[in-house]
Amino acid sequence: MSVQPHSPDVENDSLEDRLYTVKYEDPGESHLDVTLPGLCAERCTTYDCVSVCPAGVWREGEEGVPEIAYENCLECGSCRWACVHGNVEWEYPETGSGVTYKNG
Amino acid sequence: MTEIIADRNTETPDYDDRFDAVVVGAGLAGSAAALTMADGGLDVIMIERGRYPGAKNVFGGVLYTPTIRKLADLDDAPLERYIAERRYGMLTDHDETAISISPGEWHEPPHNDSYTVFRGEFDEWFAEQAVDAGATLLTETTVTGLVRENGRIIGVKTDRPDGTLRAPYVVLAEGGNSLVSERAELKETEQRGNVAVAVKEVVEFPDDDNAIQDRFRLTGDAGAAYHYFGEGAVGDAFGGGFVYTNGETVSVGLAYRISDAVSGQPNPEGTLNAFKTHPAVAPLFRGGRTVEYAAKTIPEGGADSVPELTHDGAVIVGDAAGLVLNNGVHLEGTNMAVESGFHAGKSIVDAAEQGRTDADALSAYAENLEASFVMRNLRRYEWLMEAVENDREFVFRELPQALADAGTEYFRIDREPKESHAENAKERIMEAVGGYTGAAKLALRYRKIVT
Ligand SMILES: Cc1cc2nc3c(=O)[nH]c(=O)nc-3n(C[C@H](O)[C@H](O)[C@H](O)COP(=O)(O)OP(=O)(O)OC[C@H]3O[C@@H](n4cnc5c(N)ncnc54)[C@H](O)[C@@H]3O)c2cc1C
Ligand code: SF4
Ligand code: SF4
Repeated sequence: MSVQPHSPDVENDSLEDRLYTVKYEDPGESHLDVTLPGLCAERCTTYDCVSVCPAGVWREGEEGVPEIAYENCLECGSCRWACVHGNVEWEYPETGSGVTYKNG
Repeated sequence: MTEIIADRNTETPDYDDRFDAVVVGAGLAGSAAALTMADGGLDVIMIERGRYPGAKNVFGGVLYTPTIRKLADLDDAPLERYIAERRYGMLTDHDETAISISPGEWHEPPHNDSYTVFRGEFDEWFAEQAVDAGATLLTETTVTGLVRENGRIIGVKTDRPDGTLRAPYVVLAEGGNSLVSERAELKETEQRGNVAVAVKEVVEFPDDDNAIQDRFRLTGDAGAAYHYFGEGAVGDAFGGGFVYTNGETVSVGLAYRISDAVSGQPNPEGTLNAFKTHPAVAPLFRGGRTVEYAAKTIPEGGADSVPELTHDGAVIVGDAAGLVLNNGVHLEGTNMAVESGFHAGKSIVDAAEQGRTDADALSAYAENLEASFVMRNLRRYEWLMEAVENDREFVFRELPQALADAGTEYFRIDREPKESHAENAKERIMEAVGGYTGAAKLALRYRKIVT
């Protein structure tokens, strides 16, 4: 028997490639926001919005206020619950824009 | 259009008189309600924010069809595979201990009412059944709020110009991210410990036409549902992973509590990468290519989190009402969504016949749901989540490790007698469960799983 590695190589796509698999229509403006930027900057130390997001929408920004790449959003809703400060503003992108899943 | 409602009484609010009922969301619960009401002779409109029903929906998933089959003919429904094998795998970081069941009965129709589907296809088909029964479907429209008069819900606001639509009954079937119900204070926003974040990939095998049959040992339309838990599935988090076979692709994903996702765990995408490359999982995905990446949440609050279901002029159904059973062994929400939509639809048909819209007139919905498998199953497992939460270190880490070690010992081939292997195996288990007293306590705590 030949020596084999433990598990075969499985290629995990980059997040960018993964997001590329989902059809997306830009609503033109962000459906996500923070209610009080000051609260993120001064009171929040955990950035739970950043840790939970499966799509890399939330990123730790300069001066402690997260940057929001809303075009990446998969509309899962997780960030809305994750922020214990209730500081996430969350709307559905208007009139059917945003993601469209083929399989889902 | 019913005269019943128009003539009902002098205090009738100013409905638009075009529809008897508005359904918010054309997912499984919404279409089940719409279909039931249309069959009952009501004029119904479903409002769906996606480009088509299902466009925004994500699940694992296995669709459970005992109720749907009574509402629609599944013969031409877009089903992928029936479930012929279930496998439960406990993963440490490099071991697997698994149980697999594949009863012969599952190969016979109706296949234990369990089929993999794509929501993007199935939900559209199901909504079409409601349309065929007479319902109207409006897509690419988001409901932004409810219209009230004297406390009674009399319609919805949408993001369309002049988008207010009035009707005697509103069915809230908006799923777990229930912005409308929450903002109307019909339910509280869940704690993040009661909501799971889920990620999923659909994988194809461009270089291997027989990948699914061979890797999952399947023939024909038979399919497999694999569930995983333990450290190798979702690290330290409370949750699990899944693998389901579709016709030509395989779905892989995981779900775990948001409260865990924010503490020390790699982010959901990183956790998915680790799960997919686990030595027990990776061979299933060799050479695979991702055709779709998706994310969603699962309400997991159980019976405790189910809000008041009936209101003056409105009912809440499906995930919006928190009707999901997710206890590690069972992950069922589709059947509950359809069952709740069905009972809600029926109670509205009955109330309309009496010309009433008040919550009391709709109470049959809550009562029938309570008597159905939906609330009975949620109540039955209410205690389990709590018990597992208290024992999480044991259930997700120590037990998988102890079973893997015990298996390794029990089947060890060396020059020692089997007696000593068996003794070592037993020791590993006893150590993990805390001796005979510990084992007895655990058995007592979890006896209800089997009784
Ligand atoms: C990862 C994952 C795996 C799962 N696996 C399984 C499984 O294997 N088996 C199983 O039985 N269950 C599973 N579930 C649970 C199951 O998916 C849900 O219980 C089920 O989809 C609930 O159906 P629903 O109709 O209540 O809600 P949804 O399917 O969420 O439908 C809600 C609908 O309302 C629309 N909507 C929402 N808000 C608005 C608005 N304001 N205006 C207009 N439209 C709106 C949405 O676009 C959507 O079409 C899983 C869930 C997840 C997330
Ligand atoms: S978790 Fe909430 S408070 Fe903290 S940075 Fe994110 S949005 Fe701001
Ligand atoms: S909804 Fe989901 S994908 Fe979108 S920003 Fe929030 S966590 Fe990220």
